[in-house]
Amino acid sequence: MQSQSPCTYKIQGTILDAETKQPIPFVTVRIKDTELGTVADENGKFLLDKLCKKEYTLLCSSIGYKPVAHHHDSYHEKPVIYMAPSSSDLEGVVVEGETITGDVKSLAGDRIDKAELAAKTTTSLAAAVGDIQGVTFTSVGANVQVPVIHGLYGNRILVVNNGVKHGFQNWGSDHAPEIDITSADNVSVLKGASGVRYGPEALGGAVVVEGHSLDLSQKLHGNISSGYQTNGRGYHANANLGAGNEKFSYHLGAAYRRIGDRSAPDYVLTNTGMIERSASLGMRYHLPQWDFKVYYSYVNQDLGLLRSSVADSGDLFARSLSASEPIIIRDFSYTINEPRQNSTHHLGTLAIDWYSDLGKLKFLISQQINQRDEFDVRRNADLPIIDLDLNTSNARLEWYHPVWNGLEGIIGLQYFYQNNDNNPGTGTTPFIPNYNTNRISLFAIESLEKGKNTFEFGVRLDHEHNSVRGRETNQDIFRNKYSFTNVTASIGLVREISNDWSFRSNLGSAWRTPNMAELYSFGQHGFKLQFGLWRYYSNDEGELRTDRVLTEDDGITEPEKGYKWINELSYQKDGNSLTLTAYSHYIENFIFDRPVAVIGTIRGPMPVFIYDQANAVFTGLDFTYKHAFKENLKGTLGMSYLWSQNVSKDEPLINQPPLNINAELSWKTSSIAGLDESKLTMQTSYTFRQFQAPRTVSVEQLINREVIITPESEIFDFRDAPDGYFLANVMWQWSKGRFGGQLEVRNILNTSYRDYLNQMRYFADELGRNVLITLNYKF
Amino acid sequence: MKMKVNMLKFVRKYSLYFMVLGVLFLGACGDDDAPEEENELEVFTNVTLIFTNNADATDVVRARAEDPDGVGVQELQVLDDITLTAGATYTLTYEILNALDPTDVEDIGAEIVDEDHEHQFFFSFTNDVFTNPAGDGNFDNASDAINYNDMDENNNPVGLSTTWTAGSATTGASFRARLQHQPNVKTSTSGVNDGDTDFDLTFVLNIQ
Repeated sequence: MQSQSPCTYKIQGTILDAETKQPIPFVTVRIKDTELGTVADENGKFLLDKLCKKEYTLLCSSIGYKPVAHHHDSYHEKPVIYMAPSSSDLEGVVVEGETITGDVKSLAGDRIDKAELAAKTTTSLAAAVGDIQGVTFTSVGANVQVPVIHGLYGNRILVVNNGVKHGFQNWGSDHAPEIDITSADNVSVLKGASGVRYGPEALGGAVVVEGHSLDLSQKLHGNISSGYQTNGRGYHANANLGAGNEKFSYHLGAAYRRIGDRSAPDYVLTNTGMIERSASLGMRYHLPQWDFKVYYSYVNQDLGLLRSSVADSGDLFARSLSASEPIIIRDFSYTINEPRQNSTHHLGTLAIDWYSDLGKLKFLISQQINQRDEFDVRRNADLPIIDLDLNTSNARLEWYHPVWNGLEGIIGLQYFYQNNDNNPGTGTTPFIPNYNTNRISLFAIESLEKGKNTFEFGVRLDHEHNSVRGRETNQDIFRNKYSFTNVTASIGLVREISNDWSFRSNLGSAWRTPNMAELYSFGQHGFKLQFGLWRYYSNDEGELRTDRVLTEDDGITEPEKGYKWINELSYQKDGNSLTLTAYSHYIENFIFDRPVAVIGTIRGPMPVFIYDQANAVFTGLDFTYKHAFKENLKGTLGMSYLWSQNVSKDEPLINQPPLNINAELSWKTSSIAGLDESKLTMQTSYTFRQFQAPRTVSVEQLINREVIITPESEIFDFRDAPDGYFLANVMWQWSKGRFGGQLEVRNILNTSYRDYLNQMRYFADELGRNVLITLNYKF
Repeated sequence: MKMKVNMLKFVRKYSLYFMVLGVLFLGACGDDDAPEEENELEVFTNVTLIFTNNADATDVVRARAEDPDGVGVQELQVLDDITLTAGATYTLTYEILNALDPTDVEDIGAEIVDEDHEHQFFFSFTNDVFTNPAGDGNFDNASDAINYNDMDENNNPVGLSTTWTAGSATTGASFRARLQHQPNVKTSTSGVNDGDTDFDLTFVLNIQ
């Protein structure tokens, strides 16, 4: 019923193909329960005007596409509706005024959507994002993988899960984020310094995991998926369920995954099994102008580490390094023995959004509990050697203000609290102290659109206070309290050069306080002795000493400060696209872990690693070219190259990703065996030897004192960087009606190789051929 | 101006929420507890080899090795040479301590007795420096002669007590003793490279 006084509200939208991201012309758009409707133009744009300002459900339909229902409220930006081809495995989605890279428009980034994630259900989060150019992962064996963006990892890459910083034991490279990607709707990677938006730990970029979108007005839908992999005889199953009416929606998910000992081409990688259990629950309640969302997720992981990676004497370490096979090889087993890690992560969030003419207010509180037990091969193997409880609380209020003199932006206030406690009963002096961190932050990001240019600037103020309590090995207590205050800023530009070309540029700064492991680690961790920045010093003779705990008064530790300039040029036309990303990153006081000595202990000689600080430069290039040879035959060529250097000492850094070139060809058809769609993909990649690796000094040379190393000596490594390698994978994905599936062969040539970014490269080869089968039922 | 009025209205209308937020900020404050004291079970700082002359219990030769900072970076110090009398027969036993906390010195030896089925001592020495056992020890071949005086529950040698007869006079020979921890690994044939090393010490051996 149209009222007498004409309403003036209008909805302007765009309809794109979910697969090609190209406009779909002439889609019918109707408003549910009314006579109102329109047809989009040839550019996919539609306009519904003379509406009254209230909420509507839009129904979009077009031949060859799955219909989309979208519950639209009047305070959102112009909706972008992605419709999925009816033959494809995709589902339609609606994006309301959010850019692909989140809230920072000028940052180069990349996004993995639900369909791409569905093909990666058996991989870790880090491995899933590792296919993006410029992104890779560092690992400690097959189970522990941490994302690397442009050479940086650990707590320089912020992992944001469902809107909050994932609060986990993010130190070293042997702790992976406890996130199950089957619970994610999409994952975005921001490659620039995202410190202004996300805070101190986003110095090297951010990995943003978004959960189910909890769309309203959706009928009951879900999927059940299960699969098997030959390498490790692994199996997995997961199920998702969701529905929504006009006010309330929910989503439930659960997953289980178990893998036994993996195999390299020539031998079993003993004790590399894993078990992962996860569940999540989301609910949304919608009122005009209000949205309430609660989310809870649970992840439990039991991860085995390669048995041969534990060498509690330098003698064994030296033998491991010179051996062509791991020292310990046993028959296949699902059993997970020491060394192993068990962690449990709970995340709960409450988000309240409020929309009005005054903009959008987003309030969020969250609580995370992360419990981690690590068991090592030792006399008391039944006791955890590390037993930590980490509680993380977040609260934040963000105001997406209305456009004001052309300015569009967010002003936010964030509070972060973390409490780390060692549980007693490990029978060893805690490797990481107890600590509390309180941080309060204020930020603003504004953008201004002027013609074809969008200018962007952001500023952030953080104040952080840390209280630390630990024990020395003689069980004396040490305490410290210290604070840091820091201002970070960023400026950016997005320019539409033409219809096909666009350019974005962002200069951002970020900072990070050294984490507790970097400051305080002391003693044996895995195969090495590890000392934090405040646990060692050089005496007057230049010798390494560890007999006292340092503080900020010793003047040797400054927070890391990074300045990253990242530029992205992109072209998109007729299914062809090109993206070129060039960046340069200067980090003051960059903290890194490096070998420094082999020292005699009662157990025999042991390798010693220290955290060190220096100014460093990271500069590089990512390149992707996608070409559509035909409608159904597409190719991708990619490359990523990084050059990095310790500029304080003019020497290479250690554990930096080597040059990688990759190519992919995919062919799609609907004419095989009566299937709705078949897609065959072949991936190949060549990873070069890291020719920027430090020099090699063998354990024997150190034991025999043929080479004398002090903390001032040139950096070295115990083993040469591994040779370059060629890998090939083949994947076949199909769908028929509600069923779909995937058959994939990874490392089809069964190549024996070692990955420079895997700490296990000292001891064993990577996985051999792996055949993975997945079946999926959707409703 | 209109904006300002709206803002005020807004703040007033939702003041409750701002208060809740404020309480949240103030509510979080840290505890101040240090990790509890742990009995360090893993680290040996002091190992003493004790050779007692079987013919004269007062003739005791002690050879000490010390790593006073445990897992710290200070080098291990082998403090004493082993000096035995030619032709004499000795029983070798050990004192194994963790003295990181001087007020609470742990005797690890007792723990090894409890877990003797998971432990074995191995030896390597200058060839024929002893008349019994002859040879150069059982590093290279686990079945080579060593006079183990103790057996575990599986009837495999342990080595908390061993017997040695010194040969003819020599100086600057070497004597290496290694304790291997071999949970689920120790068998009648397991050797010096099986399991993990608890200690591995090399002393200078003189016979006079």
